[in-house]
Amino acid sequence: MQRVLYVRNLGRVTYTEGLRAQEKLQRQHLDELAGKTSEPGRDTLLLCEHHPVYTTGYRTSNYPSQEEERLRKLGAEFYRTNRGGLITYHGPGQLVVYPVLNLGHFRKSMKWYVCQLEKSVIRACQTFGIHAQTSPDTGVWVGDRKICAIGIHGSRFVTTHGFALNCNPDMTWFRHIVPCGIMGKGVTSLSMELGRNIKIQDAISPVVSSLAEQFEISEVRNWDEEVSTERTVEGQEKSSTSSQ
Amino acid sequence: MFARSVAPVAAGMARQCMRPCSFRGFASTSFFTDQHEYAVIKDGIATCGITNHAQEQLGDLVYVSLPEAGDELGQGESVSVLESVKAATEMYAPVSGTVVEVNSALESDPGLVNRSPEEEGWFVKIKVSDEAETQGLMQREAYDAFAAAEEH
Repeated sequence: MQRVLYVRNLGRVTYTEGLRAQEKLQRQHLDELAGKTSEPGRDTLLLCEHHPVYTTGYRTSNYPSQEEERLRKLGAEFYRTNRGGLITYHGPGQLVVYPVLNLGHFRKSMKWYVCQLEKSVIRACQTFGIHAQTSPDTGVWVGDRKICAIGIHGSRFVTTHGFALNCNPDMTWFRHIVPCGIMGKGVTSLSMELGRNIKIQDAISPVVSSLAEQFEISEVRNWDEEVSTERTVEGQEKSSTSSQ
Repeated sequence: MFARSVAPVAAGMARQCMRPCSFRGFASTSFFTDQHEYAVIKDGIATCGITNHAQEQLGDLVYVSLPEAGDELGQGESVSVLESVKAATEMYAPVSGTVVEVNSALESDPGLVNRSPEEEGWFVKIKVSDEAETQGLMQREAYDAFAAAEEH
């Protein structure tokens, strides 16, 4: 089966910009499934880095407005999302990956999908020589320290949200929450585990390759190259028409 | 002789019922969506939930959100959000109608859906507004084949 995965690096964006990009891709998948369009949705990895933000999952009542105020006063944004999982932090130095996939192209199981994401991140950590693993708590762990948080949403098996891999973030931001609601466990990063500075840019290629292998992708395409190619083709068509 | 001729007919009808089989099958019919929801309709009330196939694909549920009695739902509208393994998944109304009852046991015991998805782990009972909508849904045999095909 031919499986194409697009990769789009959004760079440093606000949380809202990340959400908008996901929603657009999700809409295209859902419209295709509903037969509203013949344009196929693209299975896409959105890569980005956020300004400091705390986000909650669907079970948002665990975090009342006083909690929100407390965290905002630290200088972070605060968002209540529709993903699974509890509270987490995103910020500079953390690679955030949003795979917007139609699981109909893979396997229609959320449990399988989350497991595939965990395995992909473990593979990526392995390329750095870090031995990571899963645990009864979703996410990817090094010992009892979480190196990558996961929180997903599925609508008709079209996925949004994703995972966040700590490369070299300022870990003090995590002190103000119980990450993912799991008491008594720590958080870590690629840099902390290796004792040297690992930037987001260093992690992108291993993460994308690992996902491509784990999901048995036939071809990885750079979203931005596709867009510029399409524009070039349109430009040539216009100029040849006008010259006649 | 009469019992011998009735038994295979009854068995055939029972196979079309939701398990476990009972003569309830004469009065209710089960329908299934391609999103793995079911609606067992009897006397105009649809008892709805997710199928065993669906709960297996989700994993252990930790949270189920439910609507309230009196809520109006359209077929295919989101009626519940289920959470498992850090994934929040939407469940859709198999038929349109008014919610008459929700299964409040799921609030404290979402695992009931995993243990008994098509019996005690039902989500909502809906007063069906248009039984003609069921024409677009599958019955048990077609659904079982559909679910099996998705595995591959």
